[in-house]
Amino acid sequence: MSETTLGGIANRMPKFLRRADPAVLTAFACIVILLLLGSLYSRSFLSPEYLLQQLKVASFLGVIATGMMLVILLGQIDLSVPWSVATGAMMACAAAAYGPAGVAVAIPFGVLCGVAIGIVNGIGVAYLRIPSMIITLATNAVAQGLMVVYTGGFSPQDSATAAMRYLATGFTIPGVPNAVIIWALIGAATVFVLTRTSFGRAVYGIGNRERAAYLSGIDTRRVVMIAFAVSGGLSAFGGVLLAGYASKAAQSMGDAYLLPSIAAVVLGGTSILGGRGSYLGTVAGVILITLLQSILSVMQMPEAGRQIIYGVVIVAMLLLYGRAPASR
Amino acid sequence: MDGAAPLFRMEGISKRYGGVRALEKADLTVTAGGIHAILGENGAGKSTLIKVMAGVVAPDEGTMTLDGREVSFASPAAANQAGIVCIFQELSLIPELSVADNIVISDPPKRFGMIDRKAQRRIAEEALARAGASDIHPRALVKDLPLSRRQMVEIAKALARKPRILILDEATSALTAADVAKVFEVLKRLRSEGLALLYISHRMNEIAELADHCTVFRNGRNVASYPAGSKSDNEVVELMIGREYSHIFPPKPVGVSAATPVLEARNLSWADRLDNISLTVRAGEVVGLGGLDGQGQRELLLAFFGVLRGLRGEVLIDGKPVSIASPTAASHGRIGMALIPEDRKTEGLMLPMTVRENLSFAALDRLAKGGIIDRAAEQRLIDDMVGLLAIKTAGLDIPVGALSGGNQQKVVIAKWLMRQPRIILLNDPTRGIDVGTKQELYQLMRKLADAGAAILFYSTDYDELIGCCDRVLVLYDGAVKRELVGDGITEHALIASALNIHGDNSRIDLGAKV
Repeated sequence: MSETTLGGIANRMPKFLRRADPAVLTAFACIVILLLLGSLYSRSFLSPEYLLQQLKVASFLGVIATGMMLVILLGQIDLSVPWSVATGAMMACAAAAYGPAGVAVAIPFGVLCGVAIGIVNGIGVAYLRIPSMIITLATNAVAQGLMVVYTGGFSPQDSATAAMRYLATGFTIPGVPNAVIIWALIGAATVFVLTRTSFGRAVYGIGNRERAAYLSGIDTRRVVMIAFAVSGGLSAFGGVLLAGYASKAAQSMGDAYLLPSIAAVVLGGTSILGGRGSYLGTVAGVILITLLQSILSVMQMPEAGRQIIYGVVIVAMLLLYGRAPASR
Repeated sequence: MDGAAPLFRMEGISKRYGGVRALEKADLTVTAGGIHAILGENGAGKSTLIKVMAGVVAPDEGTMTLDGREVSFASPAAANQAGIVCIFQELSLIPELSVADNIVISDPPKRFGMIDRKAQRRIAEEALARAGASDIHPRALVKDLPLSRRQMVEIAKALARKPRILILDEATSALTAADVAKVFEVLKRLRSEGLALLYISHRMNEIAELADHCTVFRNGRNVASYPAGSKSDNEVVELMIGREYSHIFPPKPVGVSAATPVLEARNLSWADRLDNISLTVRAGEVVGLGGLDGQGQRELLLAFFGVLRGLRGEVLIDGKPVSIASPTAASHGRIGMALIPEDRKTEGLMLPMTVRENLSFAALDRLAKGGIIDRAAEQRLIDDMVGLLAIKTAGLDIPVGALSGGNQQKVVIAKWLMRQPRIILLNDPTRGIDVGTKQELYQLMRKLADAGAAILFYSTDYDELIGCCDRVLVLYDGAVKRELVGDGITEHALIASALNIHGDNSRIDLGAKV
């Protein structure tokens, strides 16, 4: 029996290798190669300060990509990320302008605004059966309009609260930025949810075969709804952290996070069609994207060239392994 | 037609799908100016034969000759070129386009590279007139036409391709009696014009009226060929049954329990697919659903499981009316229903996911505390099920898609048994699995019934219905036509009632209205 032989070979491999997705390994290998190439240009690419700084920058993308990964695992997509990020940031800062009580609720308020956007997305996709690509694009436009009305089209004057700044730039543990700790906590929670809870199983099940999941008695609509709400909330939380990092919110501050968050998830081996992927892969994808952006800017490549290389590299990597067929 | 040289001949045609043989050295001879009927029960190879003729699938072996020259068709377009045109059961029209657009869709007349609308309209009008449907306006949109008119457009579309051999696969199943009469006139005229017509239908009266010649298929082979009218309906049914299967079935219990029905339907109707269905299933009983493929059996099971919207009529569980809004409602709580779906690859399993994840998927709410899966409890229950059903797998953490068909089906059943369902709906569960596993499933089904489960079992295999069921309800056109009980469940009775012939050995005739 070929099944038995295959199983036998797999059983002799060390556990971590057996379980690791080739795509995740490739992503980590690419990170190492990028760093080595960078170090040919300048020794400072391997310095701990630089690496820690990159990890801090990556954690903003990491938080946002976590929500995106949940949605992509379902076989859907969330294009409302840019203005969910901006809404989270602006609303948190706006709340801060309303005295001490406002300062206290600034962060939860910002996150809840993102959750609200996500719930609208979720209702659209799960209950009204609107393709996620359309409904999330629409809510993105609506969120943008609302924010433009609120700010009058200028950068808002409210600034981030001390708590937001502390979360984004402070150090609770010496040497480890708070943003990295937050990403680690969110990541650990996500891994637990995806692997150990019935919600996580349902997410993978729906992503693989929604009809089979539905006929198995899973309330698929509720699961889809929750995933979009979480994605909206995490995008907004990413915005809150970014506002804390820059001390204030800005127009179109989220625009730079849509493609990178999708690319990070997919480069990490999560199937764009849903149902397959691990959080470790997303971590690798986020770091890979962040390093690529950083190295291109350190090399003082003109903006246009950076965009071109950035896009080409993403397409090349997706061709390399993003299209690997699922086992049938 | 006697003495005419054959227009088209198929010899020794075989076709296998995986391990299943659909056609085995089948022969067919078609003469011009005749209507040739093809008969056979579900899975006898009729559809495959048609697909080979129309170039949809390539045969594994055998030859086809047209006008004495050997031919082979790489695609349906090639078959069309040679003059073989097929009208399939499912309509192939595009609803948003006009009738004329649809008729010329594969080869529109062109002028300077643009579609010549005048010529297109002329072609469409000619074709419609030839199909006896000149009352249909060529510029009407197909979506605005009723189903029976669309079928006429379908015939016109086929005629516009100037066929020499026209194949009609259940082409009248959507038509009203008046339209059928009209189509028959057209077909008879086409015959007199020298076309060869191949006619597939389950309606015996239509065949009696129309056909010149009949060929019966069974198990992928042509078993008999005879001039129409030379055999009685009963003889034809005998030919279609044959004696080739042998299954081992567990003994049935004697005497039917008189307990209150666990599952009951009263006047269940849905769209035009289910028509006033009433039935009961008691604890410990295996009730079969018979009839030809696609007479509403699948819809009935889905209706019970809460999948269909807009259901009319009542469903009762333990004698109390319930409304089942979703599979979640059907499987959870007091109802305790399970559905083994039709297609395990798309409806039963998530193929890339592991055996473990698939097995526990339907029972996650029972295995989880506060949403967190109790892995020890999961493992215990999975071990029980793997043991109970003797699932052969190289491990619990390999993708379920790597298992054989029979073992995949066992996983689908096991994942529902983990919930200990009281009502089990089975939708053709033995399709495409090996004989050994089939037997295990028959035993299991009887064991579950003996343990008190109420089982509703749809099968396309008549032997299974005879071997496994205490009662069989035969569906035709979305309605229960006959109920066969105990020894009354015979192949003859099943096939006769499936074809809606009022045969002599039926016990109870519910087919009052047709």
